Amino acid sequence: MEKLITNFNYVIVVILMMIGLWAMLAQKNLIKKCIGMAIFQTGIILFFISIGAKNKAKVPILSKFVVENSSAIIVNDYANPLTQILMLTAIVVGVATLGVGLALAQKIYQQHSSFDEDEILENQRK
Amino acid sequence: MTEQLPIIIILGPLLGAVLAAFTGWFRPRLSHPLVVLGLAISFAAALKLVFIVADAGAQKYWLGGWGEKVVPGQKEPFVVGIQITVDYLNTLLLVAVSGIALLTSVYTRRLVDTELAGRQRYFYALFSLLVTGLLGITITGDIFNLYVFMEIAALSSYALIAYGRGRAYMAAFNYLIMGTMGACLYLLGVGFVFAKTGTLNIDNVSAIIPALLNSGQSQALFVGFVLILLGAWAKMAFFPFHGWLPNAYAHAPTAGAAILAPLATKVAVYTMLRIMVTVYSIEYIIHSPGIQSLALYLSSLAIVIASFFSLTQTNLKKLASYFVLSEIGYMVGGAWLANKPGLTGAMVHVVADAAMTSALFMAIGCIVYRLGQAQLDDLKGVFFKMPVTMAAFVVTMAALIGVPPTCGFFSKWYLIQGAAQAGVWHFVAALLLSSLVKAIILFRIIEIGYNRVPHPAIEGNPAIPRNEAPLSMLIPTVAMALGLIALGLGTSTLVNTIIAKALPAALAP
Repeated sequence: MEKLITNFNYVIVVILMMIGLWAMLAQKNLIKKCIGMAIFQTGIILFFISIGAKNKAKVPILSKFVVENSSAIIVNDYANPLTQILMLTAIVVGVATLGVGLALAQKIYQQHSSFDEDEILENQRK
Repeated sequence: MTEQLPIIIILGPLLGAVLAAFTGWFRPRLSHPLVVLGLAISFAAALKLVFIVADAGAQKYWLGGWGEKVVPGQKEPFVVGIQITVDYLNTLLLVAVSGIALLTSVYTRRLVDTELAGRQRYFYALFSLLVTGLLGITITGDIFNLYVFMEIAALSSYALIAYGRGRAYMAAFNYLIMGTMGACLYLLGVGFVFAKTGTLNIDNVSAIIPALLNSGQSQALFVGFVLILLGAWAKMAFFPFHGWLPNAYAHAPTAGAAILAPLATKVAVYTMLRIMVTVYSIEYIIHSPGIQSLALYLSSLAIVIASFFSLTQTNLKKLASYFVLSEIGYMVGGAWLANKPGLTGAMVHVVADAAMTSALFMAIGCIVYRLGQAQLDDLKGVFFKMPVTMAAFVVTMAALIGVPPTCGFFSKWYLIQGAAQAGVWHFVAALLLSSLVKAIILFRIIEIGYNRVPHPAIEGNPAIPRNEAPLSMLIPTVAMALGLIALGLGTSTLVNTIIAKALPAALAP
């Protein structure tokens, strides 16, 4: 229990990912599937940011003043910049995927006048 | 100049895609030759690299010159940049991907002109972008970079499939949901590996992992491994995640299916091989027997179920998609046998199957171009109408069945040897069953195409005029079919000079 409270960020990440995964696989509405996809991706983004976060850490930008005036730079004072940069890329990928998904959903709606998966499959069988 | 070759492999199709999209605004005719040129440059670079790698070993390239930095006071150099690597494991696949893409781009011109008139330049831009993504996945030496290339390839393939219109939209949407789930699971696994090792470079990760495992910190790494594996399985349409593939490839435009079917799944299998062999060591696989036997059972099931469904199909494109599914079972099973012949078989089969599927979809494309559709019942008399295409088709089917001296025989031989050595008899049975089913389907097609019309050579019967596909489609098809035989005859050379060196040294002979 104590572990769960101290690592509450990971608990939230897991809950978000489960909501997203359930919506992607179990929902019948195409738009809800897209929303689930976005939630799942957000969960992963938060997970990565959690890995790189440190207690009382600063923004990982070194000013000229700091470099010249301190003998050694303590790594623990700065948040890990790598995870943040990776997630910038992942956000871009997520937006692109969501865009393609919504465009396809719109095309399907034009054909079948419905977002419901069962109705669409029924229509296609005719 | 030769040290720049690895990046040229990716740059060729990438620039081809950008130029094809932009020159299309004012010169639509230019987009096709530009894409072909980009792919030709990429293929030439990949071919040159095979010889360099065979002579001198792995070639490493740091993007933008951001390589290893030596930090004062620390022994190990510190990695800052993104690496791309050409080694024994991926050099053959690079040639296969760029070569098949080059031949297919030549082949698709007439097909695209009729199927997608007015939208050619978007098609070629997406085609080239897809190849960029696939080559990127194959060449990269960085596990996060691999995710980015995976999504480049995936996004362009969703759009390519949606070009089929009608039912293709729903098929593409299902693929998008499955593909995104796979990529996200992969990314999550990368997160676990990164949290434990602190690096994304494949060489560094594989150097750090054994020490972590020995010191008892294996739980997070195990979860990461399973997540990456599930992601790769969803991407390659392995058995429980296979639902999207047949519809997506059957409803895609024929030209799109001709490039997607041979390459997209094979590159996902390569991702799995890379993670199994290089990132995590093969000892790790051998020491996790639970997943190993599960993966082997799933592979056998994948082969059996795909073979069963292929028997019930009436559409040639859908039939071929089920063949793709069963071949994935071959490769995953071979890799998870985790012994020398099994892994060799899987690595040979990745290349061989890319070539076989490409030849199969090219021949089907020729038939669709002339007959307008691909129902099995429409094939009556096709052997008299298109004798050259059907000769190529029969050679390809022989390769898929595993008739010597085609490449399908040799890879299947290695796989069966590996399965027998490991004592996994259900996998042997599944391999033989799948060959049998493919033979049944070949003879059914011969029966429909050859026997159901009065033979034109007999006097009094109506003559059937020859109506082959245009030469720009026929020549790549025949070249690919002959390539299958050449690849089969060259298998032992390839295995001895390149693939044997890609196998981990720790492997029992």
